Amino acid sequence: MKNTYIPFQMKVKKIYTESPDRTLKTFDLSYINEEDKFDFLPGQFCEFSILGKGESPFGIASSPTEEDILKFTVNRTGSVTNEIHYLQEGDIVGIRGPLGNWYPVEKFKGQDVVIIGGGFAFTTLRSLLVYMLENRKDYGKITVIYGARNPDLFIYKDEIKEWEKRDDLTLHLTIDNPVKGWNKLTGFVPTVTKEVSFDPTSWCVVCGPPIMIKYTLPVLTEIGFPDEKIYTSLERRMKCGIGKCGRCNIGSKYICIDGPVFSYEEIKKIPEAL
Amino acid sequence: MIKIKKSEFSEFIKNLQKNYSVFAPVTDGKATAFKKIKSADDINNKILNTKRSPKEIFFPQSEVLFQYTERGMEVPKREEKPFAIWGMRNCDTKSLLMLDNVFGEAHQMPKKDMYKDPYWKEKYDNCLVFNLACNEPLSTCFCNWFGGGPFDKTGSDIFVVETDDSYIFEAVSDKGKKFLKEFKTAEEISDKEIKKIEKLKETAESYLAEKQDVSSLFSKTKEIWDEPIWDEIAAKCVNCGACAFVCPTCHCFDVSDEGKGNKGKRIRLWDSCMFAIFTKEASGHNPRSQSTQRVRQRVMHKYNYFMDNYDEHLCTGCGRCVVVCPVNLDIREVIKKILDYKK
Ligand SMILES: Cc1cc2nc3c(=O)[nH]c(=O)nc-3n(C[C@H](O)[C@H](O)[C@H](O)COP(=O)(O)OP(=O)(O)OC[C@H]3O[C@@H](n4cnc5c(N)ncnc54)[C@H](O)[C@@H]3O)c2cc1C
Ligand code: SF4
Ligand code: SF4
Ligand code: FES
Repeated sequence: MKNTYIPFQMKVKKIYTESPDRTLKTFDLSYINEEDKFDFLPGQFCEFSILGKGESPFGIASSPTEEDILKFTVNRTGSVTNEIHYLQEGDIVGIRGPLGNWYPVEKFKGQDVVIIGGGFAFTTLRSLLVYMLENRKDYGKITVIYGARNPDLFIYKDEIKEWEKRDDLTLHLTIDNPVKGWNKLTGFVPTVTKEVSFDPTSWCVVCGPPIMIKYTLPVLTEIGFPDEKIYTSLERRMKCGIGKCGRCNIGSKYICIDGPVFSYEEIKKIPEAL
Repeated sequence: MIKIKKSEFSEFIKNLQKNYSVFAPVTDGKATAFKKIKSADDINNKILNTKRSPKEIFFPQSEVLFQYTERGMEVPKREEKPFAIWGMRNCDTKSLLMLDNVFGEAHQMPKKDMYKDPYWKEKYDNCLVFNLACNEPLSTCFCNWFGGGPFDKTGSDIFVVETDDSYIFEAVSDKGKKFLKEFKTAEEISDKEIKKIEKLKETAESYLAEKQDVSSLFSKTKEIWDEPIWDEIAAKCVNCGACAFVCPTCHCFDVSDEGKGNKGKRIRLWDSCMFAIFTKEASGHNPRSQSTQRVRQRVMHKYNYFMDNYDEHLCTGCGRCVVVCPVNLDIREVIKKILDYKK
């Protein structure tokens, strides 16, 4: 019997400081043992352990196509995330995963896809975007709306520059309030979503802070997206990640095993979801 | 069916201990609980419903998941003998089946080995459960609401009835059959004794309060999710979590690390959805910050959500929460209130 409570070890390969205030850092982890390598799909998450301090769930930010690493972007906010921020390159950490379900990339094949993200929750959306770009011919038009409070708080800034150069991808960047020198969009994600026109026959993936999700989903309905083609990722406090400890339970679902990815259709049936 | 004389009970337990670690109801100061026993002298067969539920045999209040040193992680070695539990009541044997769903592969489809809880499985899968019939149910017992009963055998390997001078054994599961087959010293029982059991059963059932029809509880709880009735139900609750700790079916836990430097352990500890901190996220956001929301969660999980996944209520009617509640919030009254509620 596999013991899913026991993490395996990975080495911190590279650390990127994503924001000047240092609240956001990205960690590329490399496998120590080949046999620990696992298959996963964009949207899944892992439990990240610092032994003696605890563990926390984070969405996998790398794409399955980036085979040698696992990437996580961590917002520093409490006890475990603080410890993660103290890590240095070469340190050893514990990982359990892959946990949870994924964005329905099988259904997206041959279809247009709209990706809407807010803040540092762009992690699993990066995984999805990189995955689709690596398999570009499998998908139709790809549109991305990405919002952050201010220009400093976008993550993956270097990659964004690369994405902006591509002609097979439409990228809309927006910040909450105008800032000198910012020549892209301004306004909250739900508002911008309303302004940017896209075809409601596409599939749509939304991920961001709870408040953003809450206000963006109805906008998508307004535009004409059917509930079953809108997907989002929910977040709740977690411990076990395998449906035992009860912490992430909402309605008859457990976010850690039935989610974190749910369609809007499913979400409407779950009390307390939004 | 076979029987042993009460005078042979000590010998029986001694023999059982050769192959099993035996747990049974014991009195421990003022409290009663299932504990690993040294000899039959420790056992108190008069205890109907231990204060703490026997879930702790398989899912202890605190359990080390692994220890770690600079050399790596290690799961603590378990004792090698399988467990035998003597004297469990139907409301508890049934709870084990429910918990085995959760700690097994859960409701996740397709079923995956990675979802099994090895700590529970290791102890539960090899255990032998002796289910002792309840000759004199308590006033707080309501197992009959949920399809159980003082003489119901669900979840047991061997069903045991205590008569004036004997213990009568009936094999229920394959494991139980195998055990009884190897059990040579016992004698077969007579027709007279079968009649005696019938009579005991009738008497026991007459002790129970009237059965409440709960067939609409599932749909009703769903209907009233948004109604003000929850404020009324939760008004008294002080969110102490005692109900969850004594409950044989509540299974929520917390995981935390204890250690310094390179040495330490990761432990899981019982937890409860009754506590505000249970769902409090790092950002400060708490989806269940109100007491009403948490009481609703407990009731909904028991009488609606679990049903959705496993087709039964996550409550066996053992009445422990009724006994332990410091403000006398009686779950039976809650159920009746819900069933009677008109929108
Ligand atoms: C599926 C999923 C994916 C996530 N992805 C990311 C990500 O990519 N990047 C990121 O920065 N954050 C992510 N989070 C949130 C992140 O897990 C929490 O911010 C983090 O657990 C806080 O831990 P802490 O110890 O620093 O905070 P504390 O407040 O000290 O929390 C103590 C413990 O409670 C649990 N906990 C507290 N808040 C949360 C929470 N919001 N979600 C889950 N568990 C929590 C953790 O076990 C944590 O260690 C994700 C959460 C989930 C559920
Ligand atoms: S909710 Fe109360 S009556 Fe039901 S199983 Fe738990 S402790 Fe027993
Ligand atoms: S609730 Fe039923 S099974 Fe449990 S102790 Fe009472 S009579 Fe026995
Ligand atoms: S995190 Fe334990 S049940 Fe989901």
